[in-house]
Amino acid sequence: MNKKKSIYPYLLVAPAVLVILCVVFIPVCNAVLMSFQSYDLRRPKNIAWIHFQNYIEAFGDPLFQSALIRTLLWVLFGVGFQFIFGFILALILNQQFRGRGVVRALSMIPWVTPGVLIGLMWRWIYDGNNGVLNDILLKLGLIQEKIPFLSEVSTAFPAVIVTIVWQGIPFFALMLLAALQGVPQDMYEAADIDGATKLQKLFFITLPSIKNTIFVTVLLRIIWVANSVDVIFNMTEGGPAYSTQTLSVYIYQKANALNLGYASAMAIILALCLLVVVVPYLKMNFSEEK
Amino acid sequence: MRLKKFLSVALATAMTAALIAGCGGGAAGGSTDSAQAPAADAGAAAPEAPAADAAAPEAPAAEAEAPAAEPSGEPVTIKFQYWADNTDYSQLMQDIIAKFNAENGKGITVVGEEQPWDGGAYSENLFNAKMGGSDVDVSTWKLTSTPLFVNNDLLVDLTPYVDAWASKADIDDNIYSVMKQAGGSDSAMYVMPWNIQVLYVYYRPSYFEQAGVEVPKTYDEFLEACKKCTMKMDTDGDGKADTDVYGFGMRGSKGGQEPWGSFIHAAGGSFEDLTTTDAIKGMQDYIDLYQNGYAPKTAPSDGFQEIIANFKSGITAMTVHHTGSSKEMEETFGDDVSAFAFPAGKGQWTSMGDTETVIFSSCEHPAEAFEWVSYLAAGEGQKMWCEGTGNVPVSKTVAQGDFFQNNRFMKASLDGESFAGILPILDTTTEWISTVWPNTVGQALAGQITAEQCMQTLQSELYK
Repeated sequence: MNKKKSIYPYLLVAPAVLVILCVVFIPVCNAVLMSFQSYDLRRPKNIAWIHFQNYIEAFGDPLFQSALIRTLLWVLFGVGFQFIFGFILALILNQQFRGRGVVRALSMIPWVTPGVLIGLMWRWIYDGNNGVLNDILLKLGLIQEKIPFLSEVSTAFPAVIVTIVWQGIPFFALMLLAALQGVPQDMYEAADIDGATKLQKLFFITLPSIKNTIFVTVLLRIIWVANSVDVIFNMTEGGPAYSTQTLSVYIYQKANALNLGYASAMAIILALCLLVVVVPYLKMNFSEEK
Repeated sequence: MRLKKFLSVALATAMTAALIAGCGGGAAGGSTDSAQAPAADAGAAAPEAPAADAAAPEAPAAEAEAPAAEPSGEPVTIKFQYWADNTDYSQLMQDIIAKFNAENGKGITVVGEEQPWDGGAYSENLFNAKMGGSDVDVSTWKLTSTPLFVNNDLLVDLTPYVDAWASKADIDDNIYSVMKQAGGSDSAMYVMPWNIQVLYVYYRPSYFEQAGVEVPKTYDEFLEACKKCTMKMDTDGDGKADTDVYGFGMRGSKGGQEPWGSFIHAAGGSFEDLTTTDAIKGMQDYIDLYQNGYAPKTAPSDGFQEIIANFKSGITAMTVHHTGSSKEMEETFGDDVSAFAFPAGKGQWTSMGDTETVIFSSCEHPAEAFEWVSYLAAGEGQKMWCEGTGNVPVSKTVAQGDFFQNNRFMKASLDGESFAGILPILDTTTEWISTVWPNTVGQALAGQITAEQCMQTLQSELYK
């Protein structure tokens, strides 16, 4: 009886595992194999095994190097600001006020909007000739002439980071809000009796209580943001002058140019980099199991 | 517990793998719709490569089967894929298909299926679909895609069909030559001419009048006009000349290589060698237009939508496009818009936008498919499409019609037809257009690299 009971859950999970193994592992194996070949469909007759040549070429490629550094900045600032503003939003939404339900629902809009749409929308918001942002800034007297946000090397990358931050704030807010609601109120009451300030309560009660959620959310978001292509591609296509070309965008462009071998090699490198994030995540999952 | 652990490990490994797959998927074609296709490519193309070797390029499958010059007369369905720039053109194509189906008298039924152009992704998606076994028989086409499809033996050599075609002489021989060049062969022709778009310069006569310039007749006069038309103007009718007008609506994003090519040739350069002194001079002129403020500051990221929006909102005095936009220009400005062919300097060139049709080697009824593509090339389909879209016809007979002879934009197109050309069609061209050109020229416009460095990069990436 006990044995039947223990097998049942695994039988339920088995189809999903099987599908994931089939759907995920075959492309993964293909990607790994292609990364060791001169797999360029523009020259299909030249496809051959070239060992680590794609990897060597990637590390010598100035565009790859700059894209790698840009990806680090993209993740650092993108996820960093998403966390900060998402946490602030979660604290606000955790308060009692009229219309809280409506505000909570509305704050989810950026997260549920497709990335392609977000890219197109912000592209027109930032437009240097007809964009609403320039119009507002001009009317507020904050600028004297229109700024071509997505056309200048110095402003394009910060502009796309702002967009990804805007998109990701609700996800952080949602996750952290759920965690905040699980923090026992009596701890705050005890702190009040001890005369703790708001800041002390934040650092000694709130943050330690939700640290696991913060950890998991940040890790997941790092993976997603590092792999994200849609927002940047729809806003700038990696330009101007490669100034918004992250590694995932570069991979996408090379793959679109049908140089699948080189694109796969770069994708493997990106995946290996992301293992730095995945390993702690797995470790944490295992420690929770124990 | 052990089983539980094992499953946990399997799931976690799958998650890690998903990362790679995400990237691998990206590597194989990126996100959304194109992500899956290359995964299919990976499986499909590898075994096909030897097959491609086995089939001698001179004798593709369809050619090997001696083509039946005449349709069999049996009921046949041809699956036709096309793109349309707007809903009017979609309806027009469906009307042409309906007319052909009703009148061909050979039992041929064309089924038209529209796909989005998607900034050129149409061709990539089509390639992925054909490699994955799509049953499309005929498609509308851009020459730049030809080497990729020919290298993978996906197209029918149309030469025997064209040779047996009664209306062959209605299309100029040099157009056939361009079609052949695109396939990398002097004898085989994989692409059927349909219509062309010759780029010309739109201008606002009222702006020219205010700036005191005439329609430029030389390249130097054109550069001067760009300078003089950069001024403050009253564009919204409030009596205040407070809008910055730029002389030239520069396109720095994808597609901008076409007007840019006119500068390079006018300065004496050519696409054969972009590193000559003259070609670099053309690049420098292009940079100067931007850096001196004669083009909008947004130029490095301006694409088709932006240059048209800027011209229509009165921000630019001139911009380069073709008859595809002439209808909306007339609707916006009435008589206050006209056009001229890009003027000559040391040389003269303008881009010939091309649209053709192809028959895929997977088509089981190529003779019937040819009936359809020839109807589009020189029959009633040619007349209906070119009159409806304002594109330049390839059929000499259709071009003689009043519609084409009495239109100022069509006249500018026809003026440019004699020196219109295309970019070299190589297997590097698509990537060069979509990524290399916009970013490298963007670096030059931003002052990160010199005109010479820019041209060296463009040369090495195009001919690598």
